[in-house]
Amino acid sequence: MSSPAWLSATFAGVMLTVALYCAGRLVVARLRRRPTELDTDAAHITMGVAMAGMLVPGLRVLPAGLWEAVFVAGAAWFGGQTLRARRAAASSAWRCPHPAPHIVECAAMLYMFLALPAAGLRAPMGAMSASAAGSRFSFLPLLLALFLLGYVVRQGDRITAQASAALGASPGRTHHALAPRCAALCKIAMGLTMGYMLILML
Amino acid sequence: MSQSFAVGRAAARPAAGEPHASVAALDPRRKLQLALAVLWLLDGILQYQPSMFTRAFPQMLGSTAHGNPALVAAPITWSAGFIGHHLAVANGLFATTQVALGLGIAWRPAVRLALAASVGWAAAVWWLGEGLGGVLAGTASPVGGAPGAVILYAVLAVLLWPADRDGPFVAARAVGRGPALAAWLAVWGSIAVFALLPASRAPQGLSGMISGMASGEPNWLAWLDTRLAVALTHQGLLASAVLAAVFTIVAAGVFLPARLGRAVLVLAVVVAVALWLAQGLGGIFTGAGTDPSSAPLLALLALSYWPRSLA
Repeated sequence: MSSPAWLSATFAGVMLTVALYCAGRLVVARLRRRPTELDTDAAHITMGVAMAGMLVPGLRVLPAGLWEAVFVAGAAWFGGQTLRARRAAASSAWRCPHPAPHIVECAAMLYMFLALPAAGLRAPMGAMSASAAGSRFSFLPLLLALFLLGYVVRQGDRITAQASAALGASPGRTHHALAPRCAALCKIAMGLTMGYMLILML
Repeated sequence: MSQSFAVGRAAARPAAGEPHASVAALDPRRKLQLALAVLWLLDGILQYQPSMFTRAFPQMLGSTAHGNPALVAAPITWSAGFIGHHLAVANGLFATTQVALGLGIAWRPAVRLALAASVGWAAAVWWLGEGLGGVLAGTASPVGGAPGAVILYAVLAVLLWPADRDGPFVAARAVGRGPALAAWLAVWGSIAVFALLPASRAPQGLSGMISGMASGEPNWLAWLDTRLAVALTHQGLLASAVLAAVFTIVAAGVFLPARLGRAVLVLAVVVAVALWLAQGLGGIFTGAGTDPSSAPLLALLALSYWPRSLA
């Protein structure tokens, strides 16, 4: 049994849009010297492209092993940032101040690549649920999905406050963050799509 | 920097130039609203599962008409047929609506609209999707999710409404202490009654229901439910009586002094967790579960009655 092709294609389209938008953010941030979370945007580019490839086989650009290495590196980076934040080191406007959820996102990506057999990776995501069903770790995707859905609603809750924070910033300051609400919307789209893919693996 | 502000009002502004200020502290009601939003999102995503786009979904909806009065059953049968003829569009809309409700509750400017819409949606699904939880058919059972998971979403939406009454617990802030206590009594009291219906108290009633939940579950959950079902074999009456007694204690708990009341609310959460395991976590591991069943909502309900002080 597999998801309708249009549904997988829609989620894949959203992911590619997020990846493209985040790539644009990196360019605009450099050109206009407006801070953005470089690490978060870079992570969303890789996750967006990787998930689009899992949802629609025709969009796969890298082998699973390479993606796994990328997300191990991502988890290590955000892990390091979390330790740094715990030591109360000075934060930068160019790095994510709350990196812990991104560790979970990287872990979720790793789980998806590791849990699915090679045969499954050649099929669309919606057709792969059965292959993961017998896993001893079937509760893990549920926990990951619930965490990500919690992250999504927390981001949704913060959007209004982020808009006010942006309005409250002095016009002359260089620390005026680049489109914080759009960044939050990217996190929401990413969390929902990842949650959907994890639920398919239950 | 952390600032607290009421739900539905304009957000507080952190100091200028602080790009990563902590922008919003959450009060207990907002936390519960966000938990409700997570459950709506989970429902929506479960509705996107492949099995929901097959004929099995309208057949499951249609099966809830059985045993209901004709006035209730006819619209269920009609809607199941309609959904069966427009399966992809209808199910896609259902899933997207539930995701939208979750996101709406999470987004502060839309919280009232989303909560109000969720009451209407939940009422419609309770009737057309759950056959009123089997309440009129005589098949309602706590293990089966009675009085119906989706109607608890409506109850919670009302009790978590962002009104600013003064009350000893979150639910009382929305509707006042009296109506909130009446709602608690109605929910838990009705579950106690459902535990005593023939569907549960028959010798194999609860055992059969729980063993039925084990099918398609992961090994650890199937093992747990199978063992529980074996333990309850031919013990339907005794188990029903014990369950009814526990639910009655929980129903009465909010009328006790705050310290005892808190103990009963802890009991309510523990009962909800046990019930959730017996419900096979709502069947969400089977690929055919549309929601996590009633237990997580009962736990959320209990938390919304947690006394703010012991005075």
